[in-house]
Amino acid sequence: MFQHAYFKRINFRRTSLVLLAFGSILLATALLNHQAVFASPAQVDNPPTSPLHPTFEILDEAGQNVLLSGKPVSTMKTCGTCHDTDFIEQHSYHAWVGLDEMFSPGQKDGFREWDTSTGYFGKWNPLFYRYLTPPGDERLDLSTAEWIMTQGIRHVGGGPAVRDRNQASLLNLSPSASNPEASILDARTGQAVPWNWSESGVVEMNCFLCHIPEPNAAARAQALRDGLFRWANTATLLGSGLVEQQGATYTWNAEAFDKDGKLKSEYVTIQDPTNENCGLCHGLVHDDLQDPLLTTGCKPDQYRTQTSGQIISPQRMADSGMNLANKVSLDRSWDIHAERQVTCTDCHFSLNNPVYYQADANSQPDYLTFDPRRLELGEYLYQPLHQFARGQSAQSTVAPELKGTMRSCESCHSIENTHDWLPYKESHVRALSCETCHVQKIYSTAYQQFDWTVVRTDGHASTACRGVEGESGSLKALIKGFEPVILPRKNIDGNVQLAPYNLITSWFWVYGEPARPVRQIDLMAAWLVGDEYAPEVLALFDQDGDGELNPVELRIDTPEKETLISNRLQTLGLDNPRIVGEVQPYSINHTVAAGDWATKDCRACHTNDSRLTQPFTLASYVPGNVMPEFVQSTNTQASGDILLLENGELIYQPDTSQEGVYIFGHNAVAWVDLLGSLFFMGTLLGITAHGGLRFYTSLKRPRHTPELKTVYMYTVYERLWHWLQTFTIILLLFTGLIIHKPATFGIFSFSGVVIVHNILAVILLVNAALSLFYHLVSGEIRQYIPRPYGFMDQAIQQALYYLRGIFKGAEHPFEKTPEKKLNPLQQVTYFGILNVLLPLQVVTGALMWGVQHWPDVAARLGGLPFLAPFHSLIAWLFASFIVGHVYLTTTGHEPLAAIKAMMMGWDEVEVYHPVEETVEA
Amino acid sequence: MKNFRFIWVVGLVVTLAIITIPLVIFWPKDTAPKDDPWAHVPVRPPHTDHTALLPGPFENPSDVTRACLECHPDAASDLMKTTHWTWESDPVMLPGRSEPVTIGKKNSLNNFCLGIRSNWPGCTTCHAGYGWSDESFDFTNQELVDCLVCHDSSGLYVKSKSGLPAEGVDLAAAAQSVTTPSRDNCGSCHFDGGGGNGVKHADLDEHLYNPTDELDVHMGKNNFICIDCHQTKDHLVSGRALSTSITLENQIYCTDCHIATPHADERLNNHTSSVACQTCHIPYGAIKDPTKVDWDWSTAGQDLPEDPHEYLKIKGSFIYEKNLVPEYYWFSGMETRYIVGDIIDPSKPTVINQIAGDIHDPNAKIFPFKVHRARQPYDTVYNYLLQPKTVGEGGFWTTFDWKSALEAGSKAIGIEFSGQYGFAETEMYWPITHLVAPKERALQCESCHGPNGRLDWQALGYPGDPLEWGGRDLNTGLTISAGK
Repeated sequence: MFQHAYFKRINFRRTSLVLLAFGSILLATALLNHQAVFASPAQVDNPPTSPLHPTFEILDEAGQNVLLSGKPVSTMKTCGTCHDTDFIEQHSYHAWVGLDEMFSPGQKDGFREWDTSTGYFGKWNPLFYRYLTPPGDERLDLSTAEWIMTQGIRHVGGGPAVRDRNQASLLNLSPSASNPEASILDARTGQAVPWNWSESGVVEMNCFLCHIPEPNAAARAQALRDGLFRWANTATLLGSGLVEQQGATYTWNAEAFDKDGKLKSEYVTIQDPTNENCGLCHGLVHDDLQDPLLTTGCKPDQYRTQTSGQIISPQRMADSGMNLANKVSLDRSWDIHAERQVTCTDCHFSLNNPVYYQADANSQPDYLTFDPRRLELGEYLYQPLHQFARGQSAQSTVAPELKGTMRSCESCHSIENTHDWLPYKESHVRALSCETCHVQKIYSTAYQQFDWTVVRTDGHASTACRGVEGESGSLKALIKGFEPVILPRKNIDGNVQLAPYNLITSWFWVYGEPARPVRQIDLMAAWLVGDEYAPEVLALFDQDGDGELNPVELRIDTPEKETLISNRLQTLGLDNPRIVGEVQPYSINHTVAAGDWATKDCRACHTNDSRLTQPFTLASYVPGNVMPEFVQSTNTQASGDILLLENGELIYQPDTSQEGVYIFGHNAVAWVDLLGSLFFMGTLLGITAHGGLRFYTSLKRPRHTPELKTVYMYTVYERLWHWLQTFTIILLLFTGLIIHKPATFGIFSFSGVVIVHNILAVILLVNAALSLFYHLVSGEIRQYIPRPYGFMDQAIQQALYYLRGIFKGAEHPFEKTPEKKLNPLQQVTYFGILNVLLPLQVVTGALMWGVQHWPDVAARLGGLPFLAPFHSLIAWLFASFIVGHVYLTTTGHEPLAAIKAMMMGWDEVEVYHPVEETVEA
Repeated sequence: MKNFRFIWVVGLVVTLAIITIPLVIFWPKDTAPKDDPWAHVPVRPPHTDHTALLPGPFENPSDVTRACLECHPDAASDLMKTTHWTWESDPVMLPGRSEPVTIGKKNSLNNFCLGIRSNWPGCTTCHAGYGWSDESFDFTNQELVDCLVCHDSSGLYVKSKSGLPAEGVDLAAAAQSVTTPSRDNCGSCHFDGGGGNGVKHADLDEHLYNPTDELDVHMGKNNFICIDCHQTKDHLVSGRALSTSITLENQIYCTDCHIATPHADERLNNHTSSVACQTCHIPYGAIKDPTKVDWDWSTAGQDLPEDPHEYLKIKGSFIYEKNLVPEYYWFSGMETRYIVGDIIDPSKPTVINQIAGDIHDPNAKIFPFKVHRARQPYDTVYNYLLQPKTVGEGGFWTTFDWKSALEAGSKAIGIEFSGQYGFAETEMYWPITHLVAPKERALQCESCHGPNGRLDWQALGYPGDPLEWGGRDLNTGLTISAGK
């Protein structure tokens, strides 16, 4: 496994210093990787030329210089002069996009019934909608040729753009309307027509797209859309001065070549891929500080930005051109890594790049911490793996064996010496991914829902964007951003952490058995006549009768509407059309904020409406009343609930308790609190009734002046021990309550209270231990141990006194002496408290604290979800005990006598007149 | 024991102590050094109202000075020791010279209006004295000290030729209004250096009378006045023009109030040993008003269309720049200075104030500069810079005849003029140190690092961007700690 490469810059510097000494070729390669340093400010306007990449001839498919042949460039031949382009293309999931991982529809668990691959080529995506038709299907939707024309714009070429599904050359296929690999859907007739590959050519893997500055992506896309596949890579060079276009013909510019037919050195701009190169397909990248960044979001040409709102830019948000809410205060950059000049390829590096790659420490022998053996740079440049280190995103399932190979947060960042402000940092880090706090909010927009049960007159779905107020896509709309939903992420190492996601919910029609998504062309035929809605459709859907369907009208929200469209689909020959809904999670790992902008307030999570369980809008309505289901082949297990609110909004309600996560101040087991509080209230009621009755009876009784004697009842240490315990327990109960319900006690700092609670707990424990030692050594422990002989009788006697005698002014049944301070009921109560409640509370408390250090021990005992409610329950019992205890101290000859004795040590006790033995032994 | 009634108080105290002491001991401590710049900002008592003390009337400005000196007998003699009066430094030995030299407006050349000698009355408008109109000015006469230019708060006191009050100034009103110098007092000369708003300094212009929060965080957001930083004792105002610093004496530093490594981010703190605070915290000069960056005297004297920001017959052609991106050089705070009579090499630009410092100098940091470039007259035979007489009878601004003006100017500054003149390229380096932006607007990493950065790393002496090639410790072997 290529995992966790702990590369440091210093290593590179050493490497390059060595290289400087070792010869120009190697030097050249090292500098190639970092050629940017040679770009002096004066060169900024023109793309910097490669300082060391040699000049080369541009060759066509036949290996002839294009200047002579006038034919399109063949990247495989041109770059293949020095690099092993076959190797590169064969080892690139960017080129293959799932072609090597294809399967028959319905044959792979976790995928849709109609998916045919793990990758872009064959895995259906409701955002693009078109379905790559497998061989044998009755209706052709997307053929290979049309896939290249549409989806190929985000594909680097090679793979399925040069090979068929048997991995033979597409050029060998003879045109055939019945073969989805050699035909194309004629949108006008709805019929498949043959596609002639030898006429169109194929799209070789396009080196220029990633390795020159400012490749002409628009011209390339146009060539692809026009079916001029062979010319697409040449079109990428338009604007570089190498080639010019007139109409459909491309002319190589002889001026750019020297007399040997090689490129002049000023035209050689080969470079490492920059963020902009990656951004061409992956999302919005903006590297210019001076030019205000501007996007209206939810733009199909910015793929990852529309699916998750992620924007890669060093620019401060406040300096951007976007209409952001509270923009002035947003003095953070869009992405701290972009700001710190960490580029895409620093983490997503080529897996045999000797500068970056390092074997996973776990796969090394124990005696090695670093393996210094490296691939020769020359070998690497000849055969650079174009398998790039990748993460483990929810949505991307291609090349599963490479998941988690990239540098993750922990590969570069240490939590050891940071985050000291964060209590229980180990526990937090175990439960939360870094992104949860460091991508706390997305300050852009992203798609929320795709409704393909309907179709707009332009053939597109009805969609909605999140994070925007007003018309999305308009510069005037206020971009408010959104807080990602927090879902459990199953990491590649098997650990589960909470991590941020966007959820895109889609509804669409499928038909037949096994199911296929209804083709866009059929969907349009069902809804539209020409480019207007069919009259029957309008009659039912157009509520305001204006002849158009606005976004609110364009919804299947009644059974009649569903039936109408279903019938119209059936008329087209589609069997059993039905609506299906799915929720696709999209991982959010970029647009990271530095500490100042990360979630830091404890109460963001540790409160009732915790950030971690904040509901997340899935859709503003539910087409056809079909509840969507989560897509299976992701890295998250959605354990919460999809709920339909009364206003018709569909939300996802996360539920962290399913993940074994117990969040103090947020999670509470209702019955524990109910039972505990009932017990507490019962005790309160009991003493109130008892006290009231005592008072009432004492009024009716003649005043009795007891005969008193003063006894030194409690030693100094006993009093100190007692009162210290009193204070700590009361403070523990109070701080515990705050931790339990922080929202109710907003003025207290959550983390501060946690610290106080822990320190108090230690004081209590030490005090209890010292006191135990005292009682054992002094023998006073005997006072707490009920003597078995006659105990029951005496206990009953004492109980009867509290129930009857006390109201009649009877004497206490047992004398209180320094040697025997406790009556039998006290003995049994304290025995219980000291031997059961206190140890349990200490142990559960210590384990809860210890979760950060010995998580396994706590886990074996049920973890926080068990320990924490248990701790709360005992706390309730302690609180009840204190109420009862304090009340019973008032049952002496005077209400405050006992408390006073505990304070002063000297007790005034009634001279004891033993009553006759009324109870038999 | 029984009689000790207050045992419970003792018990209570002991119990609470047992609880509190561990809490105090184990409470998490913040060990980071505190940056408390406000501790260094002076708090001034209200100034005495002088209305009743100086009833007037005052016939002439020296009457006011005499009245001041009655109660402040040392004020004039103190001031007269400072450059606000002398316009000349104490004699200093400079490397490569056998005799000590003094520099200052009084005797030096620059590449703006070139020199004051023989041109006094206009230049000395800003002298803190009365009547410096020629060489004969008496620098020992206390009654010629202008107290009002710094202490007037009426806003109606204006100086004119030779530093005398303008016609119609109500001296009594000005005298009665005296108080602590405000931005208006300092700004009346310093914001208009070079003869107009923002002309000379890219970091000082009239917008600093009432700056916004963004323009200058000290004077805007925190409402500083000049002397909050330029703290003054016995009329000696601290701080010195970095463009004429042949010593570091009495200089002001950011670190006078701020700690050397104030950033929460370690990465930023690591910069402070090689990068001056100003470099990142003053992202642009001339933000509100343009500043002059180029002055070509050689085109003067022609009848071309005039525009004060492009061409004037008396002065030649100019280039002004707004939102100036500074140039960055190593700077130790020191520099050497062109002294009248120094030989130049006309084939390349003559640096009038050569800033000191390079990547090997542990006291040098990368610092932002406005560089003012000019073409100014020099003697093609003797190869030294000349200074024309410009003002008044026989001055270039009247005659438009270079030869006679240079003749007269040379006489005034005491050098030979061969009669042959040309125009030599010169440069002056003006460090940018005001207009500190709020921290949210400071430069970002990309501003300097990466392909679009402002800094020319190789010109600064690095092999390449230190983000990739390492800092100067690695490239020069210097060990430099963060500090001033």
